[in-house]
Amino acid sequence: MDGFAKYLGRRLFQFFLVIFLGVSLAFLITNLSPVDPVEQSVALMTNFGATDPRSVELMRQALQELYGLQGSMLEQYLAFWGRVIRGDFGPSLSAFPTPVMSLIMGALPWTIGLLTLSLVISWSLGNLLGALAGYYRSNLLLKLSGAAVMALHPVPAYIIGLCLLLAFGFIWPILPISGGAQMNLQPGLTLDYLRSLILHGTLPALTLVFVGLGSWFISMRSLVSNIVTDDHVVYAELGGVSSNKIFSQYVARNALLPQLTGLALSLGNVFGGAVITEFLFNYPGVGRLMIQGIYRGDYALVLGVTTISIIAVAVAVFIIDLIYPLIDPRVRLS
Amino acid sequence: MLLNKLAAAALAIAASVMPVAAQDFIAGIPREEALIIQGPAAQNAEWFNLWAPGGGASNNGLQQLTADTFWFINPDGTGDAAWTNALASDKPIYNEDFTEMTVKLKEGIYWSDGVEFTSDDVVYTVETQIAHPGMGWSAPFTVNVDSVEAPDRNTVVFKLKAPNSRFHTLFTVRWNAAWIMPKHVFEAVDDPLTYNNNPPVSLSAYQLHSYDTAGNWVIWKLRDDWQRTSIGMELSQEPEVKYVVYRNAGNPDARVIEQMNHNLDVINDIAPEGMFTIARDAGENTRYWFPGFPFAHPDPTLPSVLFNHQREPFADKDVRWALALMIDIRSVSMGSYRGAANLAALSTPPTGTAITDYYVPMQDWLANFELDTGNGTIKPYDPTISEQIAALVKPQWGDSIPDDTDQLKRMFGFGWWKQDPAAATALLQKAGFTKNGNQWLKPDGTPFTIKLMVEGDNIPTLARAGTIIAQQWSMEGIQTTVDVAGPTNGQRLGGGDFDVAIYWTVETWGGHPDLSFFLESYHSDFIKPPGETQPPRNLTRWEDERLDAIIEANRTVNFDSPEVAELGMDYLKLAVEEMPFIPLMAYNKFAPFDTTYWTGYPSAADPYSASGPFWSNLRYMIVALKSAQ
Repeated sequence: MDGFAKYLGRRLFQFFLVIFLGVSLAFLITNLSPVDPVEQSVALMTNFGATDPRSVELMRQALQELYGLQGSMLEQYLAFWGRVIRGDFGPSLSAFPTPVMSLIMGALPWTIGLLTLSLVISWSLGNLLGALAGYYRSNLLLKLSGAAVMALHPVPAYIIGLCLLLAFGFIWPILPISGGAQMNLQPGLTLDYLRSLILHGTLPALTLVFVGLGSWFISMRSLVSNIVTDDHVVYAELGGVSSNKIFSQYVARNALLPQLTGLALSLGNVFGGAVITEFLFNYPGVGRLMIQGIYRGDYALVLGVTTISIIAVAVAVFIIDLIYPLIDPRVRLS
Repeated sequence: MLLNKLAAAALAIAASVMPVAAQDFIAGIPREEALIIQGPAAQNAEWFNLWAPGGGASNNGLQQLTADTFWFINPDGTGDAAWTNALASDKPIYNEDFTEMTVKLKEGIYWSDGVEFTSDDVVYTVETQIAHPGMGWSAPFTVNVDSVEAPDRNTVVFKLKAPNSRFHTLFTVRWNAAWIMPKHVFEAVDDPLTYNNNPPVSLSAYQLHSYDTAGNWVIWKLRDDWQRTSIGMELSQEPEVKYVVYRNAGNPDARVIEQMNHNLDVINDIAPEGMFTIARDAGENTRYWFPGFPFAHPDPTLPSVLFNHQREPFADKDVRWALALMIDIRSVSMGSYRGAANLAALSTPPTGTAITDYYVPMQDWLANFELDTGNGTIKPYDPTISEQIAALVKPQWGDSIPDDTDQLKRMFGFGWWKQDPAAATALLQKAGFTKNGNQWLKPDGTPFTIKLMVEGDNIPTLARAGTIIAQQWSMEGIQTTVDVAGPTNGQRLGGGDFDVAIYWTVETWGGHPDLSFFLESYHSDFIKPPGETQPPRNLTRWEDERLDAIIEANRTVNFDSPEVAELGMDYLKLAVEEMPFIPLMAYNKFAPFDTTYWTGYPSAADPYSASGPFWSNLRYMIVALKSAQ
């Protein structure tokens, strides 16, 4: 118990240190960004109307005050940490005065739904295929599917998404290519709405599945390929244990442990959104929100999304470290 | 066997859900009653306060369909037809020294909640915004307005702090203007800056029906009492468009697909390739600004090669002219717009009334304009450029390219500068430059290199134009690299952080010869030291006493005075002589209309309204459309 307490203490310290350093770095980078939110707002307000230079100067001063951007960077940094501790990232600068937190909370369910589902599918499918391909190396069907997955692996998300968009939105237009649900449909737990959610999520989800599949497949296949030559597997084969049992109990089970770590880390990354895919399919998640924030110089928003993402990954790693001894008997805290 | 069963089950599921995608595009609203327009993605979809800074996606129909103000200018219109009295019953009435403006309002206009619109709303709008710095029009009201009074319910009198013959333009829509606030709504809230105004009351013919909390669409519905609005009271019959849907349809590729699937009636902007795909594959149910090539609608903005006059050697007009004469505009047109560009030699966009006010009358002057190269004089103007471009695109577009020269000039522009490397060489030598092999050296002996800034993917046509110009300058011995600024483009332009850039520094009313829309910012009073942010326009930081004199003279004449066009010509001649920036073309926007459900869209032949989804003039198009079903 003493050992666990020490371990927990050390991990907690690391956990907070990682968050502190990560968030501080994010603050520094976003605040050094050359895009000035006040100038972005001024440009927006003057582009299509009032351009009297005296008015513009006045407008600039008023917005500077309104957005609370006065003070040194150190003062802003300290104020930022004060807000983070309260779970508040202040008002969005591009959607003033809407709180950043409410923008993120509006986008988060879409991203969590889309990414979690596609991650679970690509993880399960990639690991299953990878394990089978690593174990039954002479099977033609598995060789072919392996080749297909490998060919797809280096293709960027944008290209895969665009191909799906053209295939199912244009050549065979059976799936919606934009948005999260049908227009003017009342959100709720109704069959119509759920069906609409599924239809609108299909193409972005498929894109993410195709993008993720390759890496899970490759790593699982490598792991399995190594394990099948281990002594305990050779011994089991010599002992006449059935190949199905060897595959499921001796090989896949052992290979799955590092993959579970990868899954947990990826789940932590869900909070950062799938920027390119969401942008391509106009999916209203955190990724699209992040792009809008970057383009509009809204560093309050960018910092909000980044901070939540850093915390989520840190929490995922922390949880893995705590539960790993439970699922891998080779790891002992002592 | 199991595999077969699984496949059959998958097919059955697909068959049950997929047809849904093709039907009922908008739940509960007949497609034939709805006009679907490309809109923006809203970050804060719940927000409808048009007057707060950056508050809400005002381009989602909020300002276009529900807001109203005194006057509208149709950027594509000409003469009297370009001006519309909206809430005002007549044009602005100024006193003799332009220190007072009186506005007479129409009677019988009501907000959508049944409250009558009166001059009190106007007074409230102005006073509230002055009292709340940061609101959209707070600054210009603070700068200009001494007091505002409502002597009766249909009259408003503005007393100004200083003479201003253009004060009314604050309330004149080209794209946007000072919209009138509903006093009865806002006076009941604590802070008009933080009030979300949801749902908004409407002063125009449509009102909020529903919206997506995720920010992808907003639906507006025709008011039952549409006649009690400034636009409705001028109509002889009920508008056929019952619902207007502003929909974020995604990236330009997705927009093309959505229009070809008839899920997007009005597009704002797509790449030339997308436009040509629509014209080729869906030409039967699509209409464009021009009936055929070049299709595009020219915005009253002027993409140009901008020089930073505060950086050497661009303060020297001989250098600027030399760089202009190194450009082969035909290559720029073909490379950027694949020939579908409306070229401009004058420093005003070749759109709306500028054609009759400036381009046609100034052709002789342009043809006779002489440039001293230091080696003699040349006449650089080439009035045949439209015919040359037509010859280049004819192999692809065939008979859709007319032979009539006048028509060609309206399609491709009235003329441009001849590419003349010899004259460019003479001008650079006159400016003290020397050539070492194929490399020009500046007077101080260092290589003359240029960084040419472009925004990038956001405006692909201009990025392409920049790349081609960079190649041409490099071939002439000035190593030019393209600098992609991305989202920092606007800020770098405003702060003077560039050598040369491709962007627009001129925007005009379009439907009026007055150039004050951009020219006022050009006065040397507003030029800042290098590194400091400039007010909008005059991004080149061009400073010239003659220019100041034109601007000051323009301030003292009435908006509709004939002197306005004369002063405009003085500016244009000065800009040709000085070449402070190199005008390239109008900002052509490929914005096709789907005619499956609606017909009667505006066009070059019938420019009764602006066509872009975000232009507030679009409201006049919406109420004029006819059902095609």
